[in-house]
Amino acid sequence: MAENSNATQVRRKLAVKPFSKGDKLFSRVTTAAANFAFVLVALILFFLFAQSWPALQSQGPAFLYGNLWDNTPGVDTYQLGPMIWGSLLIALLGVLTATPISVATAYLIAFMLPNRLSKVATTLVDLLAALPSVIIGLWGVYVFTPVAQEWAMLLNKYLGWFPLFSVDNIDQGFTSSPFIAGWIVAVMIIPIITSVTREIFSQLDRELINGALALGASRYTVLRRVIIPTSSSGIIGGVLLGLGRAIGETVAIFYVLQLSMDINLFKVLQPQGGAVASWILSRFAEATETEFHALMAAGLVIFIVTLIINMIAGAIVNRSQPWRKA
Amino acid sequence: MIAQPRPKVQPWARPNREKTLWVSVASVLPALLGVGLAFALQLPFAVALIVFFLPIQLVAAIAVGIRFAKIKGAKDAVLTVFVVFFTALVFVLLLSVLESVFTRGLPTVSAHFLYQNNRYISTTTSLEYGGVGHAILGSLLVVLITTILAVPLGLLIGVYLTTSQSKMRNLVRSFTQALSGLPSVVSGLFVLAAMSYFGFSERTGFTGALALFPLMLPTVARVAEESLRLVPQDLRWAALGLGAPNYRAFFQVILPAAKTGIMTAVLLGIARIIGETAPLLLTMSTTNGTNLNPFSGALTTLPTFIYGFLNAGYSSSIARSWGAAVVMLLLVAIIFISARVITRKPSGKGKGK
Repeated sequence: MAENSNATQVRRKLAVKPFSKGDKLFSRVTTAAANFAFVLVALILFFLFAQSWPALQSQGPAFLYGNLWDNTPGVDTYQLGPMIWGSLLIALLGVLTATPISVATAYLIAFMLPNRLSKVATTLVDLLAALPSVIIGLWGVYVFTPVAQEWAMLLNKYLGWFPLFSVDNIDQGFTSSPFIAGWIVAVMIIPIITSVTREIFSQLDRELINGALALGASRYTVLRRVIIPTSSSGIIGGVLLGLGRAIGETVAIFYVLQLSMDINLFKVLQPQGGAVASWILSRFAEATETEFHALMAAGLVIFIVTLIINMIAGAIVNRSQPWRKA
Repeated sequence: MIAQPRPKVQPWARPNREKTLWVSVASVLPALLGVGLAFALQLPFAVALIVFFLPIQLVAAIAVGIRFAKIKGAKDAVLTVFVVFFTALVFVLLLSVLESVFTRGLPTVSAHFLYQNNRYISTTTSLEYGGVGHAILGSLLVVLITTILAVPLGLLIGVYLTTSQSKMRNLVRSFTQALSGLPSVVSGLFVLAAMSYFGFSERTGFTGALALFPLMLPTVARVAEESLRLVPQDLRWAALGLGAPNYRAFFQVILPAAKTGIMTAVLLGIARIIGETAPLLLTMSTTNGTNLNPFSGALTTLPTFIYGFLNAGYSSSIARSWGAAVVMLLLVAIIFISARVITRKPSGKGKGK
């Protein structure tokens, strides 16, 4: 806020500067703690970079797009292309699935349910967010996969002419595909998008909505002309937060996806795919010395990508929630 | 329509019997038809749902909508059907997870399963022996260490964000937010990278706790900030006006007023990390015995227990995983419910309005 230099405009602030010894100490301690947020990000970047430097140096840019991962001593070629593409594909599937579901749920909670029920529904959505990813993974393998397999079979049978739903070899079955992994990721990001969207919906200007209703607008018109335009940027922020989470998801995807270094460009029902985070987990246990550095580099890649996505998402969500700023 | 209390008596709203009747018919009939057709044609549930139920439901809703409000009503009907369908899907997914964990896990859970450790137990030992006692203790130990590390720091960041006038505040806030999206596997790799940088190789409970620290910190900081913000500024000003220095105003006035909110921050932080698997797999060795020393030797937590026995792939080991999942869920539920109970107290964090 631009302060007017006009002397009459100056308002006194209470306790502008710490003056006593104890106060100075208190303010220094809190500032130091706050600066630790930067220090932590810097430390993560530093250590990951230091440990992945040997791999980055030896692999060059092909690390990001090549598709060979061989830890035989002497060969030591580590390229992450299919995994990076797979991560993006799964995150995209997850976000495309989760967004309409989440926005619909948030809409029902904020505008259609009576007060008491909407509180219960909010609690249930929060509970979904609190489920550990290893449990989602367990459920994904033993409960969700058989169901999803049936759906995948039907999709392939009736829509198989469409390249997206075709598979190379029908005998491979329909488990462990990016389709299933995308749904698992969707289950994990639905609560995130829902809670951001619900918060934004609940803080919308009631006068606008009541005014539109009083003018005779229907529910659909209110959604289309009032709710969506005023809250779209916030929803996009929530979706980006979900995207960040989807890219970093590790254990649940590790269980439900067949990781493969043969790139799977778009055949979402094919039982082969990739995810950088799960790849780290799957290779970690028996990694050789050089492979260790390559896995660190893979971690660095996810870290930078998610950091950028989360920064953008945070800025968007903050801007669309002005009431959060004091 | 909006989530706010409406007067009980609404003299302007004339009850429309005919409309109520048709709306209820349109909500019940399609479900009956869908189920009937599915049984009559011996179709799998999934097909019946998409091929019969949804279209019939849509047509019925649109018909009723047109009957009462022309095209406007039809659009509203489509909107309502999809919104309800999607929300129902979310709750079906949630219930399916809870239901499967309890039905598959409860047969494994018994008294000895809760307190025995897994020493001398292999992946194929029958379920009469062994349990998750060591994993429960391990989880509690690791979470306790992380809590001791992360809570004071997160609290101080929350204090900084609510009291500082500095321009850095927004930057600190956005960094904290960005950290809250830190992928858990990266957090594990970070600690591992630091360890290997300093040539430190023993993977113990403490290194696992360190790997959970960056995940817990932002949650605590954010919730603490929100609950501190709900303390009326007047209280702080009154304390300062009486001559209290900032720090005493904080410790004697603001902190007691925000006590319950801060408890919530701690609980939500714990809920965030208690189920983490990937960072612990990278930074902690696992064991089948009980180990209460976080600074040396291997340590198993519930999530790594589930992971290990699931990977083994035998039916008895998978049953152990499901049993541990039940214990895990109960732990999460205890934390979750206590957080709810605390926030519900009148002195606690109200809904920001």
